[in-house]
Amino acid sequence: MRTHRFTVVLILVLLVAVIYAVVYSKVLSVASNQGQTVTVVLKSLNVRSDFWQTVSAGAQVAARQAGVKIDLAGPLQETDAGAQIQALEEAIVRKPQAIVVAPINDVRMPGIIRRIRSAGIRLIIIDTPLDIEEPKPLFVGNNHVEAGRLAGKTVAQLTDNRPVAAIIGDSEHSVITSERKKGVEESLIPYLNSMYGTYYCDDSEDRAYQIARFILHGKHPINAFVTLNEAATLGVAKAIKDSGNVKPVRLIGFDSSVYEIQLLEDGVLNATIVQKPFNMGYLGVKLALDLLDGKPAPSDTFIDSTVITRSNMYTPENQKLLFPFIQTN
Amino acid sequence: MVKLRESQFALFPLKSIRSSISLAFSCLILASIAATTLFSYQLSVEAVQRNSQGYIEEIIKQVNTNIQSYVDYMENISLLAMTNKDVKYYISDSSFISQEERRPYEKRISDLFQAILYTRKDIASIMVFGYNGRYVTDRRITSLNPNTKVEQQAWYKNAQSEGGKSVLSAPHVQNIIQNEYRWVVSLSRELKSTDGITAEGVFLVDLNLSVINDICSHINLGKRGYVFIVDPKGNIVYHPDQQLIYSNLRTERIPDVVHAKSGSTFIANDSDGKRIYSVQDANFGWKIVGVAYTDELLTDKTTIRNTILVYALCGLAVTLILSLLLSHRLTRPIKELQADMRQVEKGNFDIQTQIGQMNEIGQLGRTFNMMVSRIKNLMQEIIQTQEHKRKSELQLLQAQINPHFLYNTLDSIVWMAEQKRHEEVVLMTSALSKLFRASITKDQELIPIRVEIEHITNYLLIQKMRYHEQLDYIIDISDGILSYKTLKILLQPFVENAIYHGIRNGPEVGMVIIRGREDNGRVVFEVEDNGLGMSPEQLARIWAVDEESPIGKGIGIHNVNERIRLHFGHDYGVTIRSEMEAGTNVTITIPKLA
Repeated sequence: MRTHRFTVVLILVLLVAVIYAVVYSKVLSVASNQGQTVTVVLKSLNVRSDFWQTVSAGAQVAARQAGVKIDLAGPLQETDAGAQIQALEEAIVRKPQAIVVAPINDVRMPGIIRRIRSAGIRLIIIDTPLDIEEPKPLFVGNNHVEAGRLAGKTVAQLTDNRPVAAIIGDSEHSVITSERKKGVEESLIPYLNSMYGTYYCDDSEDRAYQIARFILHGKHPINAFVTLNEAATLGVAKAIKDSGNVKPVRLIGFDSSVYEIQLLEDGVLNATIVQKPFNMGYLGVKLALDLLDGKPAPSDTFIDSTVITRSNMYTPENQKLLFPFIQTN
Repeated sequence: MVKLRESQFALFPLKSIRSSISLAFSCLILASIAATTLFSYQLSVEAVQRNSQGYIEEIIKQVNTNIQSYVDYMENISLLAMTNKDVKYYISDSSFISQEERRPYEKRISDLFQAILYTRKDIASIMVFGYNGRYVTDRRITSLNPNTKVEQQAWYKNAQSEGGKSVLSAPHVQNIIQNEYRWVVSLSRELKSTDGITAEGVFLVDLNLSVINDICSHINLGKRGYVFIVDPKGNIVYHPDQQLIYSNLRTERIPDVVHAKSGSTFIANDSDGKRIYSVQDANFGWKIVGVAYTDELLTDKTTIRNTILVYALCGLAVTLILSLLLSHRLTRPIKELQADMRQVEKGNFDIQTQIGQMNEIGQLGRTFNMMVSRIKNLMQEIIQTQEHKRKSELQLLQAQINPHFLYNTLDSIVWMAEQKRHEEVVLMTSALSKLFRASITKDQELIPIRVEIEHITNYLLIQKMRYHEQLDYIIDISDGILSYKTLKILLQPFVENAIYHGIRNGPEVGMVIIRGREDNGRVVFEVEDNGLGMSPEQLARIWAVDEESPIGKGIGIHNVNERIRLHFGHDYGVTIRSEMEAGTNVTITIPKLA
């Protein structure tokens, strides 16, 4: 009799427990992403850097959508590898579940990446691919070769498919420059004698100006410049303006700044290829959160670029790309 | 029916009814509490959701009012400009203002605009463009962007086409002033001449987008909730994730919003999660939409759930205890009946179960009581008949002794009479008559030992006369026991046996010794002979119940033993020791009865 009553009570307790568990977990579940921690380390947190501010805005939107709080860190200067490494070390101490980093090229970087991994932190690389050992970390970045191809196609379009173009970049050693150059060349190869030559201005507007002047006054007529960075664009634009538009020369640049926008309005700069840093920041963080949720994530995510011309620069989509921020008075 | 029973057993596999009732109750209670818990949870969640829908609606209304008040303010400014005589005169085609006179006009108008601008920091710029090519801004010296044509700006064209009504643009970058690229919302309006028909210019007020941005982005709709604005065509006016939507990284339910009525809400549930859309129309054509994620609005959801679960568990505990008590109470009469039945099982037929309420169980108890008393009566009846039967049997046996013995004795008397031994005939006949007198007193079973001894003496006297020198006997009874009682004709069968089996066939003189004494509060008789004795097999045969032929063999030793036990209990009886060629000793033990 005793054992019977005991059995009954036991069965009931178990039943209650099972029902409670089922109800708690299934029917009344409250979804939440609480507890996910992501640290984003950028190349620069400088408010004057529109590019990195836009990246961080994108990152924050991704975090807000998921209801997660992220930590943003990074040096003031885009070249300050030491400060970035320190920021990464601090992040490792905080031990977030994932780190999204736009690494500055430095010899110490692979070491710190290894430490992030051995600490069990998920890693997402954005902007600049890192040459480190397997397994390759997930990467989100701009497809600079594709952007170069876009520039090349635009050149062909603007010159009625008879392009003769000179490329002016900032430095032979810059990865971005060489990738963009590669893309431009790829898309110009089908056209006969389309490549005039490639020059480097060492990120100097003056040098770009000199080079452009030299080319413009040279014997061989060219009908297009492709300038791979802002300094080159501004220098070449100045040279074209100074030359007084004797022959129509097209100018296709990269990126955007107020000066480039004015040149676009002016008509000197015929097109500029702009990246979408907002998307990079957004996708970087989203990918990290997907990874933490155990969702499948592609190993490489490339963000396409957009060709901005005078005619489409004030469309709602492109305005946001050219003027990412709303200034307050 | 049998199948049904089996399935019932399968449902409640417990042995006791109490457990089964408890289990059934508990299952019912559990199910009902689970159901009510679920329902009340759903209801509370729905209530919270409704409340939050109302809350979102209120917030969106507030946003609408805020934006409306800005737009109204800009419209008021435009009215101010429209009614301002200087402005009118300055842009009027009909008026002639010389180059020298222009400066004071421009200055006055500019001062007016500046005064307005000072009061409101959120206005980016105020400008008037006359169709006569003149323009004034809030700046003293304005250089327009040389690469921009005012006539091609959307706000300018829209104002012209609307003909006097104010037009609100979507947020855009205002680029008509050189080196200035600001995100603004433009309100523009065509200015008419005093006759109200001729269009003379376009008035523009730019509102910093940061105002709308602030209004919209500072709305608290949970961590993930947000506000967005679309125009009637579904173009995005403001959206925090505008870039993602343009890049197709995110979708927004714009068609649904466009078709939604003002003040309505709808719920979207897709991969982004369940969320509430609350739509409000602003009177300049915009639709202001608040989006809130339900799981965030229901921050109390966990609290609600936990509270409800705690209450449910408490209720469950209480009701379970109650169900146990109830089942206990319901089954108690059955338990009692069961306990009484156990008593009957053990053989106690004196039990009568308590009958409480006259329900099914009460009726069962009553029937049980009737059954038990009936069984008791029947059993007593059986015992009585059995006893009666045995007694009459014994009496019969007793009666049966007599003819056999009588025949032998009479035979002896005849034989003695033939030999003319008259004295002996007299003696034997008188002994026989005494013997019979003793037998005739049938009414009492117990007689004093003295009478029994007298009887056995008479008996032995007769036998001695029959066997002469072959038989000798000694009767040794202590005087103390003579007045005690004994069963009548107790010793005779043994003496008979001793004579017939021990002496009659023996070569020597048979000796029968009868002793009687008191021992340990009992009366012990011994009948001893020096006859042939018995082998163990013979001894066993004597003890065997021999009912088939009681006649001829006399009363069985077994029957005597039975008689003693029936009268005096199992402590008393007969024991026999026997040795071949040495003799037999029979000991009879009876209680000391006064």
